[in-house]
Amino acid sequence: MIEVEELSKRFGKTQAVAGLSFRVEPGTITGFLGPNGAGKSTTLRSVLGLVHPDAGHATVLGVPYRELDRPLHRVGAVLEASEVHPGRSGRNHLRVQAAAAGVLRSRVEEVLALVELSAAAKRRVKGYSLGMRQRLGLATALLGDPEVLVLDEPANGLDPAGIRWLRDLLRSLAAEGRTILVSSHVLAEVAQTVDRVVIIHRGKLVQQATIAEVIASAQGSTRIRSPQAERLRELLAAAGAAVTATGDGALISDAPPERVGELSAANGVVLHELTIERATLEEVFLELTGGETTE
Amino acid sequence: MTALARSEWLKIRTVRSWWAYLAVILLLSAIAVAGEIGSAEAANRSEHGFQLGLVDTVGLAALLAIILGITIVTAEFRHGTITPAFLVAPRRERVIAAKAVVGAAVALGFALLALLVVVAIGVPWLELVGAEVRLTDGEILTRVAQTLLSAVLWALMGVAIGAVVQSQVAALVGTLLWIFLGEALIVGVLGLVDADGASAYLPFRALDAADGTGGEGLHSYWPGVAVSLGWIALLGALGTERARRRDIT
Repeated sequence: MIEVEELSKRFGKTQAVAGLSFRVEPGTITGFLGPNGAGKSTTLRSVLGLVHPDAGHATVLGVPYRELDRPLHRVGAVLEASEVHPGRSGRNHLRVQAAAAGVLRSRVEEVLALVELSAAAKRRVKGYSLGMRQRLGLATALLGDPEVLVLDEPANGLDPAGIRWLRDLLRSLAAEGRTILVSSHVLAEVAQTVDRVVIIHRGKLVQQATIAEVIASAQGSTRIRSPQAERLRELLAAAGAAVTATGDGALISDAPPERVGELSAANGVVLHELTIERATLEEVFLELTGGETTE
Repeated sequence: MTALARSEWLKIRTVRSWWAYLAVILLLSAIAVAGEIGSAEAANRSEHGFQLGLVDTVGLAALLAIILGITIVTAEFRHGTITPAFLVAPRRERVIAAKAVVGAAVALGFALLALLVVVAIGVPWLELVGAEVRLTDGEILTRVAQTLLSAVLWALMGVAIGAVVQSQVAALVGTLLWIFLGEALIVGVLGLVDADGASAYLPFRALDAADGTGGEGLHSYWPGVAVSLGWIALLGALGTERARRRDIT
């Protein structure tokens, strides 16, 4: 559906994308994740024919975007929310795009209603909040009723209610069989919405998997509380496990709980708590992307 | 292509500067015509040359035409609306072509509006003061046609410059500086090196020749049109290639 192969793009001294390859399967919502500056926007803009890659290529629906006939009817895109003339009304912004795409006027009113912007349609975009601009962007992307949607950070500027609204909208759009690629630098924003994730860092692919696989791949740790903490700590260290003490007197070890239990039973150490601590999605994300951002 | 042209026309009409263009044309044309008639000797008002001068006031539409031409290209880069424009028409040369077509048509409209002001004010005034109205004379009608075409050429030049420069401020300021300072300087230098003949080939000297009013050291009408079209084609091709290659980020 969307295929990126060995894509590379350099801007001046910055290697924005470095040999990136991934696929977006039809009918799925795929999260495109990475810290700010990871190369997400450059990749999406290459997919949409706006940026010319130095090497590699990207196709949508089997062809380069540029070769699509009536592209707005096949692929809808939301890029930056600021890409609207501030002096034009929301409705006129949509009419301009609808006229170019050969979309009926009535469709403009439909998408305005869909993104709940009908009441503000007459107002100039200058007076819109960031959230309203994001919704106007979504309305623009939906004008041609496309089967593929590419959204770059659509949750930026949305309040919690707006993020929830976006999540519900994306779900209903996906339920209609559309393929959606949505980027974010906050995994939690999309974790509940997406089927699969493509995680990139410094222009390179870090992981391409389902959300469940990402969580499973995360190394868990074991939390232990014991009145004989010092003794247990020595035992674990002697067994080759990493152990650290937390502020509240508990121990955190990379040894699985089974191993900790066996060790303490064999040595007569009393345990008060033995729990698995799963890394949260956010921790996994930070771990995969080195915990750094360019900001 | 028709769809893109309709979209471009909508873009022009749906921002407030559209009304500013119309207001400026109405106002300046009215002032120019009133100034011409009011300041002329009563005896001269029936003269052919004077009435030709009335038609020449329509020439101010050309300046608005080039500003429009530059703006309809550069505003898209300035506001980032070039992204949706190229998403709907990924063959970018079609977007530039649509802008050229619509820019030319709107410039023609500007010139016609200015002409309307000339007729609406000039004819009743001249009749009121008992002067003979000659605005339908053959030579005057030719000048009318030349003035209309001139506005179209200036709009096309604006679109071409806009596509080459892409930055709105640089294109507008640069063009005005070039028209009022740059070319005069080059004409002076060419005069110093005894190459006066070359100055007629400068883009705005050629456009000057193509408004039919004539002038010293300028090409005659048709060569003026031809050189203008040459510059428009050259800059237009350069600008289109630049727009095609540019990364829209």
